Parts: sequence; structure tokens; C-alpha cells
Amino acid sequence: MHEMGLLWLRIATALYGVGLLHALAVLIRKKAGFLKYALFAFLIGAVLHFVAIVELATAVGHLPVDNFFECATVCAFLIAVLFLYVYWRYDYASLSVCIFPLVFVLTQIGAMETPMLSWPNPGVRNAWLLLHVMMILLGYAALLLTAVASIFYLIQERQLKRKKSINLFTKLPPLGTLDNLVTNSMSLGFVFITLGVIAGSTWASIESGTAWIRDPRIALAFITWGFYLTMVFLRATAGWRGRKAALMAVAVLCCSALTWAAHVGLRTMLAR
Amino acid sequence: MRFSITGVNHKTAPVEVRERLAYDEHSLPDALLELKRRPGFREGLILSTCNRVEIALTSEDGAGSGVAVDEFLAHTRNVAQEWVTPYLYRYEDGEAIQHLFRVASSLDSMVVGEPQILGQLKSAYALAKQHGAVNGFLDNLLTRAFNVAKRVRSETDIGESAVSVSYAAVELAKEIFGTLEDKKVMIVGAGKMSELAARHLRRSGATQIFVTNRTHERAVEMAQLFDGKIVDYARFPSFLQEVDIVITSSGAPHYIIVRDDMKKVLDARRNRPMFLIDIAVPRNIEPSINTLDNVFLYDIDDLQKVVETNLKGRAQSAEDAEAIIREEVSRMMARLKAREVVPTIVSLQEQLENVRAAETARMRGKLGALTPEQEQALEALTKSIINKIAHGPISELRRQASEPEGHYFIATIRKVFRLGE
Repeated sequence: MHEMGLLWLRIATALYGVGLLHALAVLIRKKAGFLKYALFAFLIGAVLHFVAIVELATAVGHLPVDNFFECATVCAFLIAVLFLYVYWRYDYASLSVCIFPLVFVLTQIGAMETPMLSWPNPGVRNAWLLLHVMMILLGYAALLLTAVASIFYLIQERQLKRKKSINLFTKLPPLGTLDNLVTNSMSLGFVFITLGVIAGSTWASIESGTAWIRDPRIALAFITWGFYLTMVFLRATAGWRGRKAALMAVAVLCCSALTWAAHVGLRTMLAR
Repeated sequence: MRFSITGVNHKTAPVEVRERLAYDEHSLPDALLELKRRPGFREGLILSTCNRVEIALTSEDGAGSGVAVDEFLAHTRNVAQEWVTPYLYRYEDGEAIQHLFRVASSLDSMVVGEPQILGQLKSAYALAKQHGAVNGFLDNLLTRAFNVAKRVRSETDIGESAVSVSYAAVELAKEIFGTLEDKKVMIVGAGKMSELAARHLRRSGATQIFVTNRTHERAVEMAQLFDGKIVDYARFPSFLQEVDIVITSSGAPHYIIVRDDMKKVLDARRNRPMFLIDIAVPRNIEPSINTLDNVFLYDIDDLQKVVETNLKGRAQSAEDAEAIIREEVSRMMARLKAREVVPTIVSLQEQLENVRAAETARMRGKLGALTPEQEQALEALTKSIINKIAHGPISELRRQASEPEGHYFIATIRKVFRLGE
């Protein structure tokens, strides 16, 4: 990949990172004050992203969509532009919860075609991997809580809808409480899993170059994350609440369980 | 001493009788003072509520206080004694204690488990105490009764579930929203039942109540009751998205909230849950709305069913409560009997001590001069002899006190030792 283009792309990734931080802060605290700055950083990021793509295009003589990494880069750019247009035209900022993390992760993957550094020593390498595992595990714990609360929600909701045996289920918490628990634990889980995905893909790219991206198990991990992202988005912006959201949380948990199963023994494959 | 409870309740007397016997708060103090003047009176308490009038009395033995209560009631309430007697029930001693515990625990109430009766009993007790009508036995017994009521409440589910339609609505709202703090309520149609429900909701923390009614005056009247806001009847559907709980009880002959409207309202609320309570007949809210997500619709029959289920649950809890009460009554009786035996023990000890003192005095002259040590030894010897003799009968008395046939044993001991007839 072209040197200068890659540099711009990495700076753009860093700027998108501000947006990512904003999205995560929104999820945890419900209100984050720095949307203006995040949007500004996102805009500059998109401009540099464009510069990077132009540099690459002039270097290869055509639109750089030759491999997965280049496609991801262009795709992320198009999403960024689309979001900025929607924001400018309709002032619809709540999409950012979904778009900021998505664009960041896609651009990050795009910038990984050439590893930017190698491990200074095995200690850092292992610590990084440990960070990835810890984040994912914390995320899974939160997701498990989400799913359990969702199942309680479904039971309680059914009781209230059927208007029967109210007595039997008075020991379950009220729907409102369960819904709050689902929202909070889901947001927290998403933050952990996103950080885990970023840590994990960085680790893999430094560790084993570009080959890992084609492994179906990795694809499954990204799909799970995408699924989770969709759930967070639907809940945060489209007002998916209650039964549908609870069902979705259970589905995401199942998907995550599959990913977990697939990842057992992945380390040996990745090790050079 | 005898303990008795005489009175009427909703089971033995119709309301026409109860209302004539009930004391109001002004006549109650005079009645208590009058009661205190009756011959044989020791302690007394008058409980007067809309479902019962009861007089608890402790009296001197053999004073025939039962007759006195009939007469007392007839006298103070200005009714003929022959008219009131057929409605009265009378419990004595153990049965009276059991009855008191059941009343305090709300097992004898019309709506079993309702919480008011305990408060009413507490104020009756406070009033009697204030007028010096309880001391000693009744004091202890009532304190025990309050503890029993507390135990029943915490160890059974008797007071858990709602047994009135309006209260069931509040319980369901809590089941849906968790807390009712900062929830908004709209009342469509100003009826008695919706007023009650709104009052309960308000008390449980609902912040804002909107009232809408076809006739404006009635809406104003009702809004004043819980400083609600009045919404124009023609425009109320556009307010639905603002509120979390809707109570309809309008006389409209057709549905005034339909499924399609509700869908739009939910979209506008971004699916925040809603609780719709339709207590109107014919119904005001299209029933199929209950199939939409995040809306819970209950009509009057649904609420009634919840109440019935809860009542059945209460019957089960009442059985558990009865068991607790049986246990408490026998514990109380054991304590009372243990107290009854105390005079016998005291007079047995006195009797033996008298014998010892008399015999020592009689023999002392024959012993001649003794050193102080020898004097002490003589005292110790005789005392230890009577203590050893008394030990068996006393511990057996204590043990027999709580036995059903214990009084035979007590009588035997009194006879054998020639204790004061």
C-alpha cells in the first residue's frame, strides 16, 4: 500500500476514534457533552480518509478496491460521507451511536493491510492479548446478564399480557426495572466487546499479517459484533423496547456463544 | 380473674344492628368511664368500627360480668337488652385470647388481611389506656396481640396482594413500571371508580394527573381533588402520548381509543410502555390493543379476576395464619397458667417456713446456750430441710401449670399441705 496514503488513513482512524469514544460514552452515561467535537473530528477524519483514497488511487491508477482491506477502507468512507450528509440535511445525530463505531472499526481494518509495527517484546504482546480476552469476557458477562434479564422480561411480560397467575410471578422484578437492567447491561457489554474487538484485531494484524482476515471464524466474530451493533442501534435510536428487544438480546447471546465456541483454539492457528 | 370478649361483628349482625351499637369517637370516652363504674370491673377496652363492636373485659372472679355487658351495651346505646342479646357472641379466657389475636391479625375481617383493623385496635387501646381502663393483664395481652399481628403479616402473604379493583390496578401498574414516581396518568370520564384508582396512583407517586370528561364541570370538580390538569375532551387523543397510564370510564357507547390510534401513540412515545385500564361498560378501549407490544390493557373483568385470584391466595395464607395464632394462644395460655401457680408456690413456702420457725423456737429452749456459729448451723440445717422438701412439689407445680389437667394437681398440693382455703 502507498506509504503516504496509509499515513493519512491512520490519522483518519485516530480521528474516528474520537467519534467512537463519544458513542461509547453515550451508551454508558446516556448523555455525553462532546458531540460537537466528535462530529468535527469525524469530519476532519473523513477529509483525510478521502485524501488517503485519492493518494492510493493515483498510486495504483484506479479506484483501490482490489482486496478486502481496500474495500473496507472505501466502504467506511462511503458510510462516513452518507452519515455526514444525513446529519447536515436532517440534523439526525442519534445515528452516530451506530455509525461512529462502525466506521472506526472498518477503517481500522482497512489500515491493517501492512502491519505498522512489530512487538517490541513478548511481554507487551501477551499483555495485549490478555487485554483482548479480558474485554471480551467482561463483554460476555454483561451480555449474559442482559440475556437473563431479557428472559425474565419475556416471562413477566407474558404473565401480564395473559392476565393470569399474577401471584406466581410477583417475585420477578417489575418490567420497568428489567428493561432498565437490559438497557444498561447491554450498553456496558457493547463497550467492552467493541474494545475487545479492536484490541483483538490489532493483535491479530501485528501477529500474523493479513492472512487471519479470511478465516471464517474471524468473520463470525465480526458478524456477531455487527449484530450486537444493530441491537444497540435499534434500541438506542429506533425505540425497540420490550419484547422485541428482549428476543434480540437472547439471539445475540446465542450468536456470541457460537463465536466463543469457534474461537477455542484460534490462538494456535494465529501463532506463527 | 376472668377475661372475656363480648360483641357483634359483620357475621353475627346486619348493618342495621351494627350501626345502632357503634360508638362514635365522642361517646367512646364516656362509655369507657361508665364501664369502669360497673361492679366487678378490673380492666376494659371498647373496639368500635364499621364492622364490629366489641368489649374486652377482665373482671373479678364470679362477678357474672357477661350479663353486665349485655346490659351495659343496651344502656349506653339506648336499645332494648332483649333486642341486642341474640346478636351478641361471647368468648372467655383461651377462646377470648384467640379471638383477639384473630381480630388483630385481620383474620376475622370482612376482607381478610385488610390492614386497617390493626390501627383501629391500636387506637382503641390507646384510648382505654388514656382513661386508665387497662393496666396489667390487658396491657400485656394487647401488646402480645400486636406482635402476633406483626408476625402473621411478616410470615404469611396475607396482606400482599390487592383485593379491590382500584388497588389491583395500582399493583399492576407497579408490576409494569416498577416505580410510579414521575409517571403521568390520564382519566377519561370522571367516575367514582376511576377517582379511587387515580387517588391510589397519586398516593403511590404518580406526578401528574390529567382529567378529561364530556361535561366540563365534572372534570373541573375531579381535577380539584388531586390538583390535576383538565384536558379538552375533544382533544384528549392527542395527549395520549404524554401519559403512561390511562383510566377510561366514560359512558361512550363505542370505542374511544382504537388500535390504529394506539399504534401511532406508541410510535410517538418510542415504545415506552403504557398501561390502559378500561373500567367502562360498554368498554371504551378496543380489546385488540392488548396484542400490541408494550401496551397492557386491562378491562373491568380482568381486574376482577386478579382480585379473585388474590382472594384465593389469601384464603391459603389465612390457614397459615391460623396455625401461627394457635401456637401463640397456647404460648399465652401456658404463660398465664404459670402465673396462676405463683400464689400456690408462695403460700407453700410460707407454710413450711412457719412450721420451721415455730418448731425451732419451741426446741430452742432445750438446747441451752449456743455459740453464734452453732446458732447459724441450726438455722442452716432447718432451712435446708424445708427447701429440700419443697423442691419436689414446687418444680412439679411449675411443670403441671401448663398441662390441661394441671389444676387438679394444684388443688391436691394445696390440700396436702393445708394451704389457705
